[in-house]
Amino acid sequence: MSNDTTLNAQKRDDKGKGAARKLRQQGRVPAVLYGRELDSVHLSVDAHEVEHLFHSISVDNTIVKLAVDGDSEPYETLVREIQTHPWRASLLHIDFLRIQKGVAVDVDVPLRLLGVPLGVKSEGGVLEQVIHDIPVRCIPSKIPAAIEVDVSELNLNEALHVSDIALEEGVEIRIAEERTICSVAIPKIIEEEVEEEELAEGELPEGEEGLEEAAAASEEGGSSEAGEGDRDQD
Amino acid sequence: MLAPKRVKHRKLHKGRMRGAAHRGSKVSFGEYGLQALEPTWITSRQIESARVAITRHIKRGGKVWIRIFPDKPITQKPAETRMGKGKGNPESWVAVVRPGRIMFELEGVPEDIAQRAMELGAAKLPIKCRFVVRERQL
Repeated sequence: MSNDTTLNAQKRDDKGKGAARKLRQQGRVPAVLYGRELDSVHLSVDAHEVEHLFHSISVDNTIVKLAVDGDSEPYETLVREIQTHPWRASLLHIDFLRIQKGVAVDVDVPLRLLGVPLGVKSEGGVLEQVIHDIPVRCIPSKIPAAIEVDVSELNLNEALHVSDIALEEGVEIRIAEERTICSVAIPKIIEEEVEEEELAEGELPEGEEGLEEAAAASEEGGSSEAGEGDRDQD
Repeated sequence: MLAPKRVKHRKLHKGRMRGAAHRGSKVSFGEYGLQALEPTWITSRQIESARVAITRHIKRGGKVWIRIFPDKPITQKPAETRMGKGKGNPESWVAVVRPGRIMFELEGVPEDIAQRAMELGAAKLPIKCRFVVRERQL
């Protein structure tokens, strides 16, 4: 199970974009807490504290203890969704999902590939990772920190599939078993060179043709343009 | 160069590029990305030029994704033509890029090579760009 962490939160009454913008100006991030047998609670968390926390943990699958002002015990939660600014490194909103002991939850666990494949080492292939997170269902105490897969035996044109992942009992994978995790492919460098050569050879004749066409068009003059204009008006 | 195979309408209005890219603003396919920080039209020539710069730097290995497609036709009137007589002819294709848009993605190369490749690619584009890493995005 991944590390537990604590985050302080305050309840908020004001809702809507105006109130949320004011909160963000004050250095806080609007958030919401929801879960089974719990009405949703509108919260706010300190932006600096939450950014610091999120950069030190794996956000998708770490249990965050949310200490809400006025509540006696912290809630055990998972970060369900984070809304971020498209290009600035600032958080806009966070969803916390309350979890209960013994009740299975769906989480995305990061997939780590270990080793360098044989096809990359000796044959010059490229390792392509298709899936970066594996959705799993399990009880909170069994959430894996990461799923590690050894790829060192992979040769060129070979692939690993979801069915090749070994997990401990009680952790169920929620994705089709035939899906490809990663593959070692032939690099496209040869095709690139051919394309570039073809282009380099083809540029001049095309350009000449283009010039001839342009010259022919200019000889014809404005009559054809006037014709086009008339057609547009029609 | 990239261009649509066929389109419903040959000519489009100019349009405006307000706001940010709320879609396509996360690295989704590879490990590294090149993110736009300004709004602009990126022409098919610029996309191709950036792609060539990136692929030449990574040499062997690596995979490149182009996350933008030039689907907007740009018209131009011929030189020394009087005004009027209708809209000009479609001459080029551009992609409308808003700040935050991931334009290129890379996978299968070390981070330092990926960063340099993206810098070389960014030099071919008319806007400020940023190198982003999947692991560090929230």
